Amino acid sequence: MEIFVLVKQVPDPEATVKIKTDTELEIENKYFTNFFDEIAIEEALRLKEKFGGKVTVLTADPKRVDALRRGISMGADEAIQIADPALEGSDPFAIARVLAAYLKDKPFDLILAGRQAMDDDSGIVGIALAEALNLPHVHSIIGLEVDISRKEAKVIREVENGKEHLICPLPALFTCQKGLNTPRIPLVMNVMKAMKAQIKKLDLVSLGIEASKVGSPAIQAKVIRYLPPPKRPPVKMIKEEFPDNVRTLVRLLREDAKVI
Amino acid sequence: MALDFTFTEEQEFFRQTIRDTVNRMIMPRVKELDEKEEFPWDLWREFAALGYLGLRHEEKYGGMGTDTITQMIFYEELARGSCGFFMSVTMQILMGTYFIGRFGNEEIKQRILVPAIKGEKIGTICFTEDQSGSDLAGTRTLATKVDGGWRINGRKQWITNGPIADFATVMATIDPKLGLKGLNFFLVERKTKDRDGFVSGQRLHKLGSRCSVTGELVFDNVFIPDENFLGEEIGKGVQYAGEILNEVRVMTGMSALAIAKEAMEDARQYANNRIAFGNPISKYQLIREKFAKFWAWYEAARTFLYKCAWMIQNNLPCINECMLAKYHATEMCMYAVEEAMRIYGGNAFCTEYPVQRYWRDAKFLLYGGGTHEVLCDYLGRVYCKG
Amino acid sequence: MSNEIWVLAEHQDGKVKGITFELLSGGVEFSKKTGQKVAALLLGYGLEEATKGLLPFADKIYLLEHPLLSPYTSDAYESALLPLLKDHQPSIFLGGATSIGKDLFPRLAMRLETGYTPDCTELSVDEEGRLTAKRPLFGGKVFAEMVFSGARPQMATVRNHTFLIHENLGKSAEVLSLPIQLDPSSIKKKVIKVEKSPGERVDITEADIVVAAGRGIKGPENFKIIEELANVLNASVGTTRAVVDEGWRDLKDQIGKSGKNISARLYMAFGISGAIHHVLGIGTCKTIVAVDTDPNALIFNYADYGIVGDLFQIVPALTEELKKILASEG
Repeated sequence: MEIFVLVKQVPDPEATVKIKTDTELEIENKYFTNFFDEIAIEEALRLKEKFGGKVTVLTADPKRVDALRRGISMGADEAIQIADPALEGSDPFAIARVLAAYLKDKPFDLILAGRQAMDDDSGIVGIALAEALNLPHVHSIIGLEVDISRKEAKVIREVENGKEHLICPLPALFTCQKGLNTPRIPLVMNVMKAMKAQIKKLDLVSLGIEASKVGSPAIQAKVIRYLPPPKRPPVKMIKEEFPDNVRTLVRLLREDAKVI
Repeated sequence: MALDFTFTEEQEFFRQTIRDTVNRMIMPRVKELDEKEEFPWDLWREFAALGYLGLRHEEKYGGMGTDTITQMIFYEELARGSCGFFMSVTMQILMGTYFIGRFGNEEIKQRILVPAIKGEKIGTICFTEDQSGSDLAGTRTLATKVDGGWRINGRKQWITNGPIADFATVMATIDPKLGLKGLNFFLVERKTKDRDGFVSGQRLHKLGSRCSVTGELVFDNVFIPDENFLGEEIGKGVQYAGEILNEVRVMTGMSALAIAKEAMEDARQYANNRIAFGNPISKYQLIREKFAKFWAWYEAARTFLYKCAWMIQNNLPCINECMLAKYHATEMCMYAVEEAMRIYGGNAFCTEYPVQRYWRDAKFLLYGGGTHEVLCDYLGRVYCKG
Repeated sequence: MSNEIWVLAEHQDGKVKGITFELLSGGVEFSKKTGQKVAALLLGYGLEEATKGLLPFADKIYLLEHPLLSPYTSDAYESALLPLLKDHQPSIFLGGATSIGKDLFPRLAMRLETGYTPDCTELSVDEEGRLTAKRPLFGGKVFAEMVFSGARPQMATVRNHTFLIHENLGKSAEVLSLPIQLDPSSIKKKVIKVEKSPGERVDITEADIVVAAGRGIKGPENFKIIEELANVLNASVGTTRAVVDEGWRDLKDQIGKSGKNISARLYMAFGISGAIHHVLGIGTCKTIVAVDTDPNALIFNYADYGIVGDLFQIVPALTEELKKILASEG
């Protein structure tokens, strides 16, 4: 199977994110490979181990390549970075257009992506890419079984209070959710390989995309202001002894917060 | 540009990978490992399967042949997890296999080094005895030349991985009267049905680093063949010891960095959340000073240690530098764990909070690779001589 | 050009979902300012009951009925909606930040080359009908206020409980049944089975009240005291990553960064220390109660009410107390 995996390096959940100006953030330099992307890489590698073929990790992040190296260290065969400074400030739809321009004439059976990237948490790029490539997609999968001879996949996706089982013809794009697998920890041998790996870099000209189609000029929904999370009132600690504290809590929830 | 303190993108990636591996494999188990006080065989096998035990050995034996800086990045990140596990791993990677990789013949390397890199055989190194530790000249374990080999007699104490070791690099004297000049290294294996070897003596219970097992090894007239002599010629043992100790000291310093940082990161979070007299305690100057001092000393210690790593990597003489850096980093760590305990106040005294573990684990750094008293005495003497 | 406010209706077993009523209530509120009509887009097959349910909540119901629209697939919904969206060019198109909304809206927005803001926690309009959307980034560490360029519709998916349901909007919708042609070959994926989670509880993202326990619960068997409390409150049961990773609870119950974001009216956390992964998922809950033995637990920084205490003592007592009170009120 020929599989492409979309990956991205994102701020670690522990990283601090500060509002610098109305439209500018200051993000602590603590990054990791997007949690859901690693699940996508793992799934691609398992399919490769089962059916043979090739796994290519792909990013449209012009700055950070560590997610690609992570992919190689886990066992991916090739890493490609679309690295054009014009991509800076692009919205997810522009990223999807760029990825589509790269992928449109490539042979593949499957594209895997994370459910969402843990930065803007949009969950758009993968699905929008499927639209651009006119591919079926399944979002937030927690189970995948490929039938190579019938060129289709049995997929389970998470929905509210249940699971949806689908059959989807290949090629397709799936976004991966926690529960699909547990990503492997890379072997040091592959880590060394990843450290030295050549990363193929492509610019927009080579993809035939005009700079006006990406970056801030192409944004349809733009940020006008960053805001801190809504401030919560200070906690009211109920300091009475048990069981009075329980009674007080119930009273406060009924009379004060009016939620019961 | 002659002076450059930046890590390369590749080194940063390596660090991130180790950090992530430690976070996933070791961090969730740290408390359990400390409490159980047993060697974690499952974790050991899982970890060995990733290939890290061959970090500094040649590729043809299953190693990775990495450079010193890469190794030190590995040590710094690994030590963030369980300190006991760190000791077992570094014993295997560095001290326990160093002389076998350097002086062992092909048969020994295939039989011992290859499975050691896979984690299937456990190795250790033996310096300390009941009357000698930092004072190597006091070594009493005796190697006597016999036909076709050597006979080893003596007892070695404080042996990391000792109770589970399959093979040991043993420092022994060929004649106590020769002092340092009589010292040599020998490969001795554990006694089996078919082979003469060492047996385990008493196991020690430790204040910290509790999941690394430590104990006594007993050599009762053990015969070893000639090829088990580890060295180019007789009498060079002390020189070899000096060479390995550079790496050991910088590695130990790396663990001091890691423990100190973990302790103070926890303390920072605590100080920002713990309210006293209406404010988080991090608002008080006496608390802030602790962080400022730690920060200054930590940054200095880290820079110095990586300078030493760079000197080792470039084959520059650096015995004194490595001693100084290890000494400084360890004292910095003592400060950090002590002050972290104070920041936690009474909570430091209960085992629910990890801060007491950092404090316990750190104490070993004062003795590993030579006590600070001996180290200081030596360094002071060198300095005064000018 | 219709210049309407559209809401994608979600329904299950004939019943319209709460999120749809919330969005319609919000839409009607907007329409008071903009003078626009509010329309529900109802797709599926066998929609009488759902249609009836929607009547008092909208000015119009666009009814798209076809066997291939049930159960939901993005393929079928997209095929049905695209021509309609192109024709009518509504001003605003809202959906739930649900397994349907988040699945479908990116495809529509990509095709229509219009703006889309996912997972919003606040929406407002000005008199011209220009939408301002607020959404969390980095799991809720910061929020972004976003506006749309000239392209229409302005699309957004919205979290549960962002709007309150207004029962008396005074509407009686005109039902417009639209002809629909679906090419079966355009529908590539097929739902073969929908597996419902055992139990009666609604998903934690939809629940009004969520009670949760973390590692402090000490073992999977102890969740029964949490379940009993949930029964009394008609709540759903959530948990932390640590508990899920231990295998004590199913992944679908996990709240936080790698799990679900909840916006419950009341969230009660028992034996949860408040790791960043977890608290990022509860930021938009209205009232938060925390009970933990550690007085320095971080969870108290995020709570409205806190008790330092043993959950094994407090949870059963709380269950009894609530039972008594709710029984006395019949």
